[in-house]
Amino acid sequence: MTAGTQVSGEVVTAAPAEPAEPHETRADLKRKDNRAWWLVLPVVVSVAFTAIIPLMTVVNFSVQDVFSPTERVFVGLDWFYEAVRRPENREAFVRTLLFSAQVLLVEIPLGVAIAVAMPRRGFWVSVALVLVALPLLIPWNVVGTIWQIFARADIGLGGWTVNNVLGIGFNYTLDSTDAWITILVMDVWHWTPLVALLAYAGLRSIPEPYFQAAQIDGASGWATFRHIQLPRLRGVLTIAILLRFMDSFMIYTEPFVVTGGGPGNATSFLSILLSKIAVGQFDVGPAGAFSLIYFLIVQVLCYVFFTVLTRSGR
Amino acid sequence: MARTTGRRLPWARTVFWLYVATLMLPVLWMFGMSIRPNEDILSSFSLIPQRVTFDNYVTFFTDVSWYSSYLNSIIYTSLNAVMSLIVALPAAYAFSRFRFAGDKHLFFWLLTNRMAPPAVFLLPFFQIYQSVGLFDTHLGVAIAHMLFNVPLAVWILEGFMSGIPREIDETAAIDGYSLPRFFIRIFLPMIRSAIGVTLFFCFMFSWVELLIARTITSVNAKPIAATMTRTVSAAGVDWALLATAGVLTIVPGAIVIWFVRNYIAKGFALGRV
Amino acid sequence: MLEWMVWTLPTALVFIGLAVLLVVMAVWARISPPVARRGFLRIETDRGDRLYIGLISAAVVLAGWMAVTDLSMWLALGCAVLVVVVIGIWG
Repeated sequence: MTAGTQVSGEVVTAAPAEPAEPHETRADLKRKDNRAWWLVLPVVVSVAFTAIIPLMTVVNFSVQDVFSPTERVFVGLDWFYEAVRRPENREAFVRTLLFSAQVLLVEIPLGVAIAVAMPRRGFWVSVALVLVALPLLIPWNVVGTIWQIFARADIGLGGWTVNNVLGIGFNYTLDSTDAWITILVMDVWHWTPLVALLAYAGLRSIPEPYFQAAQIDGASGWATFRHIQLPRLRGVLTIAILLRFMDSFMIYTEPFVVTGGGPGNATSFLSILLSKIAVGQFDVGPAGAFSLIYFLIVQVLCYVFFTVLTRSGR
Repeated sequence: MARTTGRRLPWARTVFWLYVATLMLPVLWMFGMSIRPNEDILSSFSLIPQRVTFDNYVTFFTDVSWYSSYLNSIIYTSLNAVMSLIVALPAAYAFSRFRFAGDKHLFFWLLTNRMAPPAVFLLPFFQIYQSVGLFDTHLGVAIAHMLFNVPLAVWILEGFMSGIPREIDETAAIDGYSLPRFFIRIFLPMIRSAIGVTLFFCFMFSWVELLIARTITSVNAKPIAATMTRTVSAAGVDWALLATAGVLTIVPGAIVIWFVRNYIAKGFALGRV
Repeated sequence: MLEWMVWTLPTALVFIGLAVLLVVMAVWARISPPVARRGFLRIETDRGDRLYIGLISAAVVLAGWMAVTDLSMWLALGCAVLVVVVIGIWG
C-alpha cells in the first residue's frame, strides 16, 4: 500500500482535504485471478533454488552428525539442545540484541535529524544525496577495512586523535569496550545514511500547504516537526526500523574484518559465531541447528515488525 | 515571504555539512593511505602524505589476480541485477494488480528471505553449487545473490507499480493490447525510473556482499573483496595496497549513484512514499 | 545428485507434512474462500495467517522448552499442537 492512502485525517486541518480513499476500495479494485500465479512462478522457482532447497538441507543437517554424505548418524534433537543451551550462544544472542537496540537508538533519531537539516532544492541537493549515500555503496569488508585503519591508534586518524589529542587511551584490539564502541560508531557511520535518506524521502512527500498552514498558525520549528513532519514519517520510519533491526541483527562482515569477534568474545555476534562453527570448524550439525534457531528468531521478529508496518498503514 | 517545504533552522545547514564532512573523513583517510608508500604509513603518523605515489594503483592494475577479481565482481554483480529484475518484473506486476490464492503469504515469505542471515545458507550453498556445477562461476554467484535481491526487487517494483492507476491497464485491454504487449510497450516505459532504482539496489547489495560470494568461489569468479584478504601476509599487512583496493571498490558505486541520484531516496522508501 | 542433502526419514516426513498442509489449505480455499476476522490476537487474520502464526508460535514453544526444561519433548509437542489449535480456532 502506498503512503497516499494514509494521508487523510492528520492534525493539520488547514490543509486542503484530500479525497478519502479507504483501503478496502483500493484492494477491491484488484482483480481476483489465480492465473497470476504464472507471473510469480519465476520468482518462486528462483527462490526455491536459492532458499528452500538450502533450508531443507540445513534442517537435515540439524538432526545428524555428518561425517560424509554416506557416513552419518541420526542424533535427534541433540544439536538443538546444544544450540539453545550453550552459554556462548546465549551470550552472543544477548550481545546481538543489545547491539541492535543501541544501533536503533542512535541511528533513527540521528537519521531523522540529518534528513530535516538536508537541503531541499538547488544543485546542492544532488551533491548532498550522493555524498550521504556513498557509505552505503562501499563493500562491507571495505567498510571494515576503512575503520580498521581509521580507528587504529598508530596509523588511523580517528584512533590517533582520541589517543593524542583527547588524551584518552583507546585501542580496539586490546580493550573490549573500545572494540564495541568502534563497531558501533562504524555501524552508525555506515547505516545512518539509510535512515536519513528514507526520512528525507518521507519529508519530501509532505505537501507544501501543510507547512504554510503551520506558518500561518505561528507554529514553532519544534511544533512543526512534532505535529506535521513526524506523523507523516511513520511509514518510512517503520521501514527504516525494520531494515536496520534485521540488518544489524545479522551483522557479520564489518566486525569480522575489524575485530574478528574479539578481543576475547567482546564483539562476537550471532553471525560471527555461526560462521565460525559452520565454515571454520565444518560442524554442519550444530551449525544447522544453530541456524534454524537463529532463523526462527528472525522470522518471529520479522513477522511482528511486518504486521506493525502494514497495520500502521491502514 | 513564505519559506516553503519545511522550515530549516538557521544552523541546520552548517550542522548538515559538518556531518557530511565527518562522513567523508574515514574515506578520505583511506584515500590518503592509498597514495603513499607502505613504509611511510607505518613509520610515522602524518596528516598529509609526505611522498605521493601512485605505485599502489599501478600494482593493482598490472597484477592479474587483482584486476581480474575486480572484473569478476563487476560481472556477477551486473548479471545478478539484470536477472533479478527480469524475474521480479512479472511477479511485482502480479502482486500489484491481482488477488490470488496465498498472495499475501507469498509476499511475506519472500520478505523473510531478504531477512534471512546469509550465514544460515553458507554450507548448503557450497554443496548445491558444487553438485550442479555452478561452483566458482559468475552465474553461480549471480544466482546465489538472487536470494536477497529478488525479494527486494519485487518489493520495490510492487510499490512503484501500485502507484500507477489500474485504469491504464483496463484502457489498454479495451484497445486490444494483449498483456505481454501492453507490459512491454506501455507499462515498462511508465516505470522506467522504478527499473533504474531496482537495478541500482540489486547492483548495490550484490556489490557489497562478501560472505556468500566468497564461499561459493575459489579462483575463476573470486570477488575483489576476497582478494583483499591477500594483503595480510607473514610480512604484515600491506596497508597501502589494501587501501588502494578499497578506494577502487568505491568507484563503481559512486558512478552508479550519480546516475540515479534523484531516485535514490524514493527507492530507499521502497516505492512506498 | 540429491545425496548431499543428507535426507533422513523424520525430516522427510516433516516436509511432506508441510507440503500436504499447503495443498490442503489451497484446496480448502477453493471450496470455501477464507474470511478475515479478528480474534484474541487483535489483528485481522484469515485461516492461512492463523496457521502461519500458529506454526511459528509452536516452533517458539518447542525451542523455549528445550532452553528451559529437561522434561520430555513429547509433552512440548503436545503443548505446541495445542498452541496451533488454539490460535487456529480463536486467534
